[in-house]
Amino acid sequence: MSATPTNPPALAVHVRGVSKTFGTGETAVTALNGVDFTARQGELLMIVGPSGCGKTTLLSVIAGTLNFDCGELDVFGSPLHRLKPREITEFRKRHVGFIFQAFNLIPTLTCIENICVPLLIGGVSRRVAERKALALLDEVGLGSRGHERPTNLSGGQQQRIAIARALVHEPRLIICDEPTSALDKDTGAHIMDLLRNAARNPNRCVIVVTHDNRVFKYADRLTEMEDGRVQRVHDQGGNYDLSE
Amino acid sequence: MYHLALKMLLGDRAKYLMLVGGLTFATMLMTQQCGVFFGLLKWTTSHLSNMRAKLWVVDRKVEQANELKALRDTDVNRVRTVPGVAWAVPVYVTVQSAKLADGNFKPVMLVGLDNATLIGQPPVLLRGKLESVRLPNSVIVDELAVRRLSSGRAKPLDLGDTFELNDKEARIVGICRADKHFFGYPYVYSTYTQALQFAPKQRKMLSLILAEPAPGWSLDDAAAAIEAATGMKAYTEEKFFWATIWWYFKNTGIPIAFISTIALGFIVGMVISGQTFYAFVHENLRHLGALKAMGASNGLLVRMLLLQAFIVGFIGYGLGALLVVGFGRAAVARGEPPFMFPWQLPAATFCLVMSICALSAVLGIRKVVKVEPAIVFRG
Ligand SMILES: Nc1ncnc2c1ncn2[C@@H]1O[C@H](COP(=O)(O)OP(=O)(O)O)[C@@H](O)[C@H]1O
Ligand SMILES: [Mg+2]
Repeated sequence: MSATPTNPPALAVHVRGVSKTFGTGETAVTALNGVDFTARQGELLMIVGPSGCGKTTLLSVIAGTLNFDCGELDVFGSPLHRLKPREITEFRKRHVGFIFQAFNLIPTLTCIENICVPLLIGGVSRRVAERKALALLDEVGLGSRGHERPTNLSGGQQQRIAIARALVHEPRLIICDEPTSALDKDTGAHIMDLLRNAARNPNRCVIVVTHDNRVFKYADRLTEMEDGRVQRVHDQGGNYDLSE
Repeated sequence: MYHLALKMLLGDRAKYLMLVGGLTFATMLMTQQCGVFFGLLKWTTSHLSNMRAKLWVVDRKVEQANELKALRDTDVNRVRTVPGVAWAVPVYVTVQSAKLADGNFKPVMLVGLDNATLIGQPPVLLRGKLESVRLPNSVIVDELAVRRLSSGRAKPLDLGDTFELNDKEARIVGICRADKHFFGYPYVYSTYTQALQFAPKQRKMLSLILAEPAPGWSLDDAAAAIEAATGMKAYTEEKFFWATIWWYFKNTGIPIAFISTIALGFIVGMVISGQTFYAFVHENLRHLGALKAMGASNGLLVRMLLLQAFIVGFIGYGLGALLVVGFGRAAVARGEPPFMFPWQLPAATFCLVMSICALSAVLGIRKVVKVEPAIVFRG
């Protein structure tokens, strides 16, 4: 949608020949096998493919949470393959928002406190963090639930809190692993609307790993993986059909 | 982030209470038992606190205040003639048995004071007059004696009452307060000559000599002069105190009991708090991993865990110490069980409790430092 053929937007993520093997010897599993992959600024990109093909591993690598064995990786111009662990942590803190299949909200904290976490980690004062968290809470339509524990909320509401948490520090890269898999169709659609919205920012990139074909239509582009490699890239999510 | 770290811990009520409870218990066990132990050791020096003198002259072989070897009566004069001695008085200390109205016998600590000066007199006289003790067959007894020796009587012993001390009649002319003796014997005071009447005749009847240095003489110099001139042992009050404490420390099982209780308190605290905190970290590992993914450094997570561990440490220690202070007040008010609470004691248990917290935190920290942020993507 946002990709215009005449003036292709800048790359947000550029992966070149990345491989990752878990374990050694007999039990070694090659999760990524020379992956080449790009994601553009201002797009919502989906990574799809059968279970075990390496989607989550690729996402972890892009997010800077997992070391890889070889290859190169640039994210918004930062060469992650050359950064020191401390610099990668700093990079995640500033530039990456996370959304997980299991929401991963801290149950002993209120929704507002959960949303504040990335700001507080970034050293923002408690007052400012709470004000921003409240604004985000409104944006995801849960303005009245801020002081409740996440466990009092439905799955879809918890995921909306998680989205608020992922966006609150205005990161450029939003990483989502199966964000709708634990939700029903309508709730999943609502979540995807929010992510779609987040991707409208031309400086941002939203990458969604999913095998939920009900939500493919939200993608600007779809990257199809198989056996640790990128097989195909589809330009229009809506035209892709997994049932083939 | 630190206030959230605390909320994470407080939010887990069960573990929080377990941690605080464990540390409170450990603090109590260690502090209270040591307080009783110190109190017990203090009791071994009750002669010193009850008689109060700067110099204590005893037989050459005497190592502590509760094992006195008899001296010759003439030894008092030998000490008096030593240059550097202002005065010296004899004291007779012996355990005698008192007969109760119900026919039973109870041991008492009979102290015979110098007739002229009554030096070594009871610290606090509650009733009666000190001088009355010079009357024939008269004694001043402490409160414990009143309690112990009254059994079988319609009314507790009082001024004017008599009881049998070693088959001889003793009349109570005063009631005093004295520090309790380690053996639990009540103190009964009389004059030196009267004490010799109460006690069965022996060749040597003098137990110890209390003395004071002449003006211009230091305690140590005067003590050395006495030892050189008489061949007896002269202790300063402080040296006798520590020699006595140290003797009990070396020659009884008390220190072992004491050290094992501390060890037990430490181990109990360590096991409860260590394993609860470890479980807390283990259960929150996913969330701690998520924080790591979101850019929390190991340093930040370590500080959060330390804060959590030390906060429960402070609360547990505070509660434990408060309970011990309450116990101690009651004990001191009643006079038993023995209890002493020098500031070094809470300071030492504070350090022990804090090291329990540090060790518990280390267990959790090792786990958190190792966790890969990528675990947040794994089901
Ligand atoms: N931490 C790990 N240790 C060992 N093997 C792993 C680990 N993570 C992933 N794998 C393996 O790597 C392969 C790819 O996994 P993953 O990226 O999770 O696939 P997907 O997300 O597409 O289902 C799988 O075979 C999986 O078993
Ligand atoms: Mg996966």
